Amino acid sequence: MSIEPEDQTRGDSMPFFSDAQPAPLSCNEAASMCMKAARGAGMSWGMAEEAGFAAAWLVSHGIDGPSHLRAHLERADGRDWADLCPTVTPDGWHNANGQPACPIILGATMCDYADLPEGPKTGATIALGPVSAPILLVPFLAELALSNALSFKLAWDGGAICIDKDATWRETSLASGDVPHLALMLSVQAAEPHKPFVASTPNAQTTAATIAALNTFAMRTTVPATEASRAGAGSTLSDND
Amino acid sequence: MSLKTSTLAHETARYMRPATEVMHLARMGSSHPTRLSFLRVLLRRLASSEWQIDRPVWNVDATGVGHGVYRVKNAERTYNLVAFAHDLPPEMRSDRVIATAWDATFTLFDGDPTDEDIARLADNVPVQEAGRISPSELTLARANHSVRLFEHVVTALSQGRQPDAAEIAAVGYLMRTTAVYGSGKFGASDRADIAERPELAAPFQVEMLTVWLIRVFTVDIVEHIAAAKGGDTAVRLDPALRRSLGVGNSTGLGMAPFIVRHPVLLNNWMMAREEALARVRAQPTAQPLAISDLNAALAAAVTNAEIWRSEHPVQVRKLHDLRRDLALLSATLNTWDWNAAHPWDALWIWGAQTLTFEGQEALLSLMLEPHGALVDDLADHMGADEAASFRINGAMPVAELRRILETDYAWALAIDFTTPENVARFWYVSEEKLEPRLGERASEDGATLEQPLCIARLMSELYTTVQNFDGTLSVAALMLAHPEHRFAVRRVQITKHHPYAEVQDNLISADMLPIDLLRCKLAFFGASQFDPRSDRWVRINLFAGAPFPDDIKAGGAL
Repeated sequence: MSIEPEDQTRGDSMPFFSDAQPAPLSCNEAASMCMKAARGAGMSWGMAEEAGFAAAWLVSHGIDGPSHLRAHLERADGRDWADLCPTVTPDGWHNANGQPACPIILGATMCDYADLPEGPKTGATIALGPVSAPILLVPFLAELALSNALSFKLAWDGGAICIDKDATWRETSLASGDVPHLALMLSVQAAEPHKPFVASTPNAQTTAATIAALNTFAMRTTVPATEASRAGAGSTLSDND
Repeated sequence: MSLKTSTLAHETARYMRPATEVMHLARMGSSHPTRLSFLRVLLRRLASSEWQIDRPVWNVDATGVGHGVYRVKNAERTYNLVAFAHDLPPEMRSDRVIATAWDATFTLFDGDPTDEDIARLADNVPVQEAGRISPSELTLARANHSVRLFEHVVTALSQGRQPDAAEIAAVGYLMRTTAVYGSGKFGASDRADIAERPELAAPFQVEMLTVWLIRVFTVDIVEHIAAAKGGDTAVRLDPALRRSLGVGNSTGLGMAPFIVRHPVLLNNWMMAREEALARVRAQPTAQPLAISDLNAALAAAVTNAEIWRSEHPVQVRKLHDLRRDLALLSATLNTWDWNAAHPWDALWIWGAQTLTFEGQEALLSLMLEPHGALVDDLADHMGADEAASFRINGAMPVAELRRILETDYAWALAIDFTTPENVARFWYVSEEKLEPRLGERASEDGATLEQPLCIARLMSELYTTVQNFDGTLSVAALMLAHPEHRFAVRRVQITKHHPYAEVQDNLISADMLPIDLLRCKLAFFGASQFDPRSDRWVRINLFAGAPFPDDIKAGGAL
């Protein structure tokens, strides 16, 4: 279904941006839009919430998370859970079918396993294998670094970033940009307990194209109107009183 | 900061009503505003701190079209409501979220707006959802005239007489808002960016401030139009009549999912209110001043119940119950033995045994009213850091998850979801308007796109899965094997630490009334005179009887 750019009667936070206009979203809008899009692209509701969290976290740290999520969802659309999830083994967290893992599922699973023996522990080095839109892993690792006093190094062929209290990862991540996927090694070290890094950068802007693409995914979660549904939504009495 | 049962003094904890008693739609749908309601929190803060309130800009023509600015300022912060007044043809006046034009539109600006800001807002605020605002704005809102009362008041004032008090009481407000958006909607400031400010820490304070200033605007605009019409003949509105006016609000199904989607917040609201009741009941004696304050609050409640109007059959019956219950309470208080031990608890027990839910929840509100010093601090615990409870504890054994389901979700597991009446409805979002709606599963398409608001059924499905899953394994392993349950598992773990997080009813049953969800939330806002216009649409009044800025300056009672 097409979205009329000037239809102000749609009861949601639907931004109206076109082509080259910058598209500044609040974190709430980014989280909400990305959550719905992730659900529309096949994630469970609970995993879609994780996608909303990750994209909005990046926005608040000056990175266009929604565009990274869009790129991932376009590649992952229609793929089964088995092609997207990690297999948790002592040697590595590769996807069992050899596919690039979903960064949202991988990040959420790392947090799930944080306090278990299989999880990312001090001194561990874990081969993650290829990961789609890898920057979407950073919000999960940054949270884990905070809650469990850890520092992470994510290394790939030709580069590496550290995720710790200094938040130096940002510049590298911005420079290494839009790779579809990277084969990653994660190494974990103990760190001093630290406070959240307070972003001094304004929220990242996204693009009209990303909003359009994510909204197309999100629209898959909606139900076409019927006369019955229209009639039931409002008051049965006049408002002109 | 949220309240935990373990932090309650033992003697108070004994008097807490359990969630199994409180968290049912029939009772939540009988909620009354209390002194912990968010608009009361706002008014107490405005009265107690050094806030200066004025109207630096009033640029409105003789037909009532233009803009005004209302400023609220202390040493640290300034907030400005920018109000745009429009000329709306009657055929465009609708309370639905799908309306496209309004009698007036508003935004609350963070700081002092420049001329450029005002110009930008004038391009965007009047079109509401079709425009964009920025992180400098905290809310976006609009309001329509109550045609009947607005005209009546303008005519009377322009002819040099006061409007009819009975007409004012019958409607209660000059304008009603049809949406007040905050929390980052349409580009506005994110809640997280302002939640640390002391004056905005309690829930919905920017929304309440917006509505309170809109109330001032509604009186200013009628007086302005009346003066333009009547010239020297026109008079201003009598202060007592003015004070009786609130701001109407019209709320539909769209708001109903909120308290289901925010379990930690719901818990903190409920827990604060329930602890307040428990603190009052736990008092060994009653102070004479508290008794006289109770009687004054009861007299006001009786008056409020008399002017409260609704044509909806459900509310007509509840209003009948309420009036009878308040009369019974008045009669009982005439001979109440305040010298007996724990007289407040005895009164509560009498009410619980004697009154309907309407009367019981009204009694709760009345019992809190004289006890500000004892309970007002609980308002500081009604916000929620939802991010803090977002992470799933994957190390929890599945057996523990199962145990929480069997205890805290026993109410959900007891529902039989194989019967048609227990799955009669489904919540969905409409493609056409992107608003939440409720469908009939048997006769409407779209149930495959159901929203996750049927919490009881989600828990029932999760329970079936964990019964067949190795209990010694971790929740992390369960999540890898069953990602479809991630949403439900997060809630189970939240509920473990937040006993009032769940509405303990089936939200997709044939007889569920969405207005019960709306009333509970609106009572926490501080709404009064709930008037359902259907089973999923309700009108209310906010700030009726509350002070205006000059009343606050004069030290008026809150």
